[in-house]
Amino acid sequence: MNTLFENILNTILDWNKFWFGLLFLGSVFNAIAKKSVYLGSIENISFWAFLLGGLIGLIAKFRGAWL
Amino acid sequence: MNKFSDIAPEFSFEKEKIIAKSLSQRFQWEMVLIGLGQAFVWLTLWPLVLYGYISLLMGFLIATICACFAYLPSHESQHGNYSRGNPKLRWLDALVGHTTLITLIYPYEILRVTHMKHHAYTNDPQKDPDYNNAHAKSLFHVIKIAADGSSTDFQKYLEVFDNDKAFINSFNKGVPVALLLRAALMVLVVLFPLETLLLWWVPAKIGTVYTTVFFAYYPHLGTSTGRYKDTRFWSHWMPRYLNHSMQLHFIHHLHPSIGHFDEPKAIEALKPFLVARGVPGADQIPDRITYNPLIKI
Repeated sequence: MNTLFENILNTILDWNKFWFGLLFLGSVFNAIAKKSVYLGSIENISFWAFLLGGLIGLIAKFRGAWL
Repeated sequence: MNKFSDIAPEFSFEKEKIIAKSLSQRFQWEMVLIGLGQAFVWLTLWPLVLYGYISLLMGFLIATICACFAYLPSHESQHGNYSRGNPKLRWLDALVGHTTLITLIYPYEILRVTHMKHHAYTNDPQKDPDYNNAHAKSLFHVIKIAADGSSTDFQKYLEVFDNDKAFINSFNKGVPVALLLRAALMVLVVLFPLETLLLWWVPAKIGTVYTTVFFAYYPHLGTSTGRYKDTRFWSHWMPRYLNHSMQLHFIHHLHPSIGHFDEPKAIEALKPFLVARGVPGADQIPDRITYNPLIKI
């Protein structure tokens, strides 16, 4: 049980940049978009905001660095 | 004169140690106040911003100042400079160390053990956890690696020091705290996205960059290895009151138990020793450090 938990935790941590992009940056982009009259009017803007966050995180994961 | 064997008896290590010890007694109450105070102010910003008492921009500015003040009180904790060897006061080291670092989103135990290794192996490319910061290609480069988190990627030191059980145990003690801080950040960003960005994450990044540039980069820039060679006296256009007096960081490397606010007095007393030992930049140390901003245009 411990090993299973450790494996799940390690997998999550290996992808920490992706999760950070998806959750953190996605939430921030979504909040900014909703405050903007133009961006807020786009259909499914939350989906695009989280997708952009996730993509940035994915790029950072494969590059090995954010900047 | 710079070879240790050529050091005159009046500048012996024993005499240097006696002077340093006499300046390592005072309780660092200012640092306790700064550490717990900035954490309290930072925490207070959340309800103040969320209930509209102050603007998010004002909250961001105050949080950034808090983040820039956050590391040094923990640094004194890392060296046990509040308890000063008294086991009954060790809780104070831990309290200040953990609390003040919340603003910077760093776990105290991991910073403590890696900082001890930084002192033990300063400027060693394999073993000094601060090596990448101190030997960055340029100021821009150190800002970049500090901002993107790669300069504090301490995970690899688990392998470097895998034979050091005390290091591994302390490091592992810090992991749950690191995960807790990260989880708190993630929960808060879902609930309060812009507030979390501007009250915590961006200020923590600015605080980390500030700390890295002034605590790790400038004091060790261009230095080598060895007790009297691994940190330097430096000065530039910025008054030392704006960069936590890190021009004086070399005295901390020589005698870490001297409290931060007693370092000017220590340098004044120890200047002849430092010149005799050839500490980088020691010949440029002014006779009076106390209340001297150490500006160099």
